[in-house]
Amino acid sequence: MIDSHDRSPVRSQRSGDIAVIYASDYLNKLSGERIERECRAALGAGCRALVVDFKNTGLVNSIGVSIMLGVIDAAERAHAPLVFSNVNSQAAQLFEMLGLTLHAALAADEQDALRMLSDINLSQDSRVPVGKHI
Amino acid sequence: MSTDNIFKATPAKRILGRVAPENFIGRSELLREIVALAPSTSPRRGLLVHAAPAAGASELLRQAYDKLFQQRGMASPIYFAFTRHEQTIAAAARRFLHTFLSQLVAHRRGDPSFVNAPPALRDLIDLADPSDYEWIERLVMTYERARDGGDELALVRLCFGAPVLAASRGARSVVLMDEIQNVEKLRGEVELGNEIAQLSMHGDAPFVLCGLRRGLLDELSGGNAPHRFDGFGTLHLEGLKETDARTLVERLAFTERVAINDETRDLIVQLFGGSPFYITSFMYAAHRDNISLTSFLECQKIYVDEILGGRINRRFNSILEEITPSPNIRRALIRLLHDAATNAGGKSPVEAWRRRLELEPDELYPLMFALHVRELASFNATFMEIGTESLWRDYLRASYRLQVAAEPRALVVADTLVETLKRAPQTMARHYRRAAALNLRELLARFDAQRVAASLLHYDRFSRIYRGVEAEEIALGLDAETDLIRLPQIVHAASCASFHPPMLLVCDEERCAVAHGFDALPYTDANEIVWLTAEIDSKLEAGRAVTEVWCDRLMQVGHSCGFKRFKLWLVAPEGFSAEASELLNERDAFSSSRKQLELLTAQLSPEGTDGGAAGADAPDEFEMVIPMGSDTELIAAHTVEQIARRLDFPAEAINQIKTALIEACINAAEHSLSPDRKIYQRFRLESDKLVVTVSSRGIIVPSPTNAGANGNVAREENNGRRGWGLKLIRTLMDEVEFERVDDGTRLRMTKYLRR
Repeated sequence: MIDSHDRSPVRSQRSGDIAVIYASDYLNKLSGERIERECRAALGAGCRALVVDFKNTGLVNSIGVSIMLGVIDAAERAHAPLVFSNVNSQAAQLFEMLGLTLHAALAADEQDALRMLSDINLSQDSRVPVGKHI
Repeated sequence: MSTDNIFKATPAKRILGRVAPENFIGRSELLREIVALAPSTSPRRGLLVHAAPAAGASELLRQAYDKLFQQRGMASPIYFAFTRHEQTIAAAARRFLHTFLSQLVAHRRGDPSFVNAPPALRDLIDLADPSDYEWIERLVMTYERARDGGDELALVRLCFGAPVLAASRGARSVVLMDEIQNVEKLRGEVELGNEIAQLSMHGDAPFVLCGLRRGLLDELSGGNAPHRFDGFGTLHLEGLKETDARTLVERLAFTERVAINDETRDLIVQLFGGSPFYITSFMYAAHRDNISLTSFLECQKIYVDEILGGRINRRFNSILEEITPSPNIRRALIRLLHDAATNAGGKSPVEAWRRRLELEPDELYPLMFALHVRELASFNATFMEIGTESLWRDYLRASYRLQVAAEPRALVVADTLVETLKRAPQTMARHYRRAAALNLRELLARFDAQRVAASLLHYDRFSRIYRGVEAEEIALGLDAETDLIRLPQIVHAASCASFHPPMLLVCDEERCAVAHGFDALPYTDANEIVWLTAEIDSKLEAGRAVTEVWCDRLMQVGHSCGFKRFKLWLVAPEGFSAEASELLNERDAFSSSRKQLELLTAQLSPEGTDGGAAGADAPDEFEMVIPMGSDTELIAAHTVEQIARRLDFPAEAINQIKTALIEACINAAEHSLSPDRKIYQRFRLESDKLVVTVSSRGIIVPSPTNAGANGNVAREENNGRRGWGLKLIRTLMDEVEFERVDDGTRLRMTKYLRR
C-alpha cells in the first residue's frame, strides 16, 4: 500500500513497513528538521524501515547533514534500518566526511533501496550493510 | 545653466582675477567645488580652504569670484579679504558691509564696475535692484545708527550678518572670505573669528572661509568645536603638482615672451617647489628685465635678484615687518633665525629666543606663532625649528649678511649667485633621483598582510633560481613557490629622515623608509613590527662593505628610535654579492634587487588583499554581497559555480567549492554578531586557481568546537555534531586562511585547477 502525505512540507510515501521520505532540493537545517520529523512520525506510525531519497537534492550543508545523524539515531533506537538513496557525489562526499556512511547504507536509487530492505527480514534483523552501495 | 557648462563655455571675464584664466593652472577641481556652492540646491553650507603659504589661495578665490559673477540669476559672489593693514574689528566690519553691498548690487545689475570702484553706501540704495531697495535701505539706515553707537558686537553682527539677511530677502550670495589669519591681529573686544564661524553656519548664504592651514581653525575657534562646521566641505590648497607647475612655467614663458628650455623649466619648478606665486613672480621678473631663461646661470641670476630685491624679497620682508614692526627686534629675529638655520637640525630652544629677543612671553609667543602659521618655522612647545624651504633659507642668509653682518651688497650678491649656481645641478640631480626612486613607502603601504613568494625578499635565493630565466617562467615559478612570506600590515610609512634626521646626510628622503605595522592580527605588542628599508646606490651587485654600512645605519635608526622589534630590508638595483647576501642572512635581513621589487609590486594587489574596491574592476574579479539567512548562500553557490566554470574546473571540484562556500556563509551567519547582517564575497580567478574570500562584520561568537565553557555545553547539547564548517572547508579546498580583521572575520579559500 502506498500512502502519500500531501500536506507535509516533505513528501513521503509508505510501501508496506517501509517509509520513503523525499528530501527537498537543498538539505539545510530547516529541510533536515522536516525530514527528521517525518522519519520520527513514520517510525511512530509503525514503520520498520526508512529510506530517505535525495533525488531532488542538489546541495547539502553540514547542518543538514548533522540532522541526518539525528535521523540515524532515531532509526537505531527503533531498530529500523535506514537507507539513503539517490545521493549525489557532493552530498555523498559530505556524508562520508562527516561519518554518516558508518551508520547508514547508500543506495543508487529508491528501487535499489527498497530492494536492499526487502532482502533482510525486518522483523528479526534490522541491520543492512552500511556504506556505499551506489 | 549647470556649472559644468560654465566651465566649458567662454572663459570668465576678469573682474578680480589677477591671472588670465588660461594661466590659472592645476586648480580646476578646487574651483569647481567653490562654484558648486552657488545653486540653492547645493548640499554644502560652505567650504573651509586650508592653504599652504604662497599656494595662490587669494587667486583661487578671485578666479572663483569671476566664474560666479558670470552666472546671472544665481547667487552673487562676494569677495572679502582681511588685510594686514586694517587696524580694528569695527573697521573690518564697516568695510565688509560696504564691500558686500557693492558687490551684491554689481552682480544683480550685471555691472562689474562697482566691484573695483564701489559707490558710496547711500548711493548703493538708489542703484539697487527694485526688489532689493527696501531691505538695503533699511540695512543702511540701521548701520548708520549702529556705526556711531559704540556697540562693537552689534556692529559686527549687523555687518557680517548682512549675507544672511540678504538671503532671507531673496538675494542669495556666496561669500568668499580670504586671509582669515589676519583676523587675529585686529583690535577690539569681539572674538571676530568666532562670530564669523557662527554666522557662516546660519542662513542660506554659503561661506568659503580661506586662510593659512596652520591657523585657520584656531582663528575660527573651530578646533574645540568641530561640529561647528557641519555641512562644510574642506579643501586643501598646496603647491602645484609637478606637471601642472611645468605647464604654468611654459604658459607664462609664452605669454610673457620669455625664452626657456626643458632644463630651465624643470629647474624653475624645483626652485620654487610648485608655488604659483613664486613661479609667476620669477617669470614676470624675467620678462621685466628682458632676460631669456635658457641657461641655469640666467635662471639663478633672476633668482638672486628676486631674493635680494624683487617681489619675493618684498614678500618675505613684509611678513617679517608684520610680525615684528620694530626694526631692532626684526634685526635680532633675523640673526636668531639665521643662527638656528645653521644649527644641525635647524632647531633652537624657546628659552634662547626669549633671552636673545628680550621679549616678554606675551610678545614672544605671538611672534613665534606668527612664524609658525606662515610656515617659516615650526613652534613645538619647547623649541623652534626653522623651515627647510631653500628659498626661505636663501633669503634669510642674504638678509642676515646685508642687514645684520652689514656685508657689502656686491659680495652678498656674488656669493649667493655662486652658491645657488653650484647648487642647481644638485637640485636637479636630486629631482631625477627622486623621480627614479622606487617609492618604497608606497610599496610598503600596499603590503596589507599579503603572502608573497619568499624568494622575492631573498636576493641570493632569487638569483640562484631565476637568474637568466625568462620573465614568463619567473612568473610561473613564483606562482608555484610554496615557501611564502606573509608581509605585515603596514599602518604608517614615512621617510627615515622623519624619524632620524641625520639620515638625510647619507640618503635622499625617498630612498629610505620606516614602516610601522603588525605581523598578524590582533593588534598587540607581540605582533607589532617596524620595517626599516633603504634603497642602496650601486651599479653592480652591492658588496659586503656597503651592505654592512647600510645594515648598521638602519640598526642605528631602529635603536635610536626605540623600536622594540624591527626588520631590515635592503634594496639594491642589481642585488647583492654572495658575501653581502651571507651578511644579510646573518643579520636576518631581507634583500631585493630592482627586478624583485618590480615582481613584488606586480604581485601585490593595489589596495591590499581584499580591502579595496579597485580590484573588483579587474575582469577576473567579482564581488557580491548577500544578506545573511533565507538560504542566500545558495545564490552565492550558484554564482561561484558560474565563475569556476570559466576556468574549466571539473564538476567535482566545482561541487567542493560550492559546498565550501555554503559552509563559509553559514559560518559567517552563525558565528558573528554582525551589525549589518551581510556577507561580503570576492571571487578572484587566476590562471591556475580560484580564490574566494568571505568576510563579515561583527564579533566572533565562540563556536561549539571552540574552547570555552559555553562551547563545551553546546558540544554536549548537539553530541559534537555541529561546528564542522571550518573543518569541512579545509578538507574541500586547497588553502584556507581564517583571520580576524578590524571589525569581523575574513576567510580566504583557494582551489587550484588540476588539469
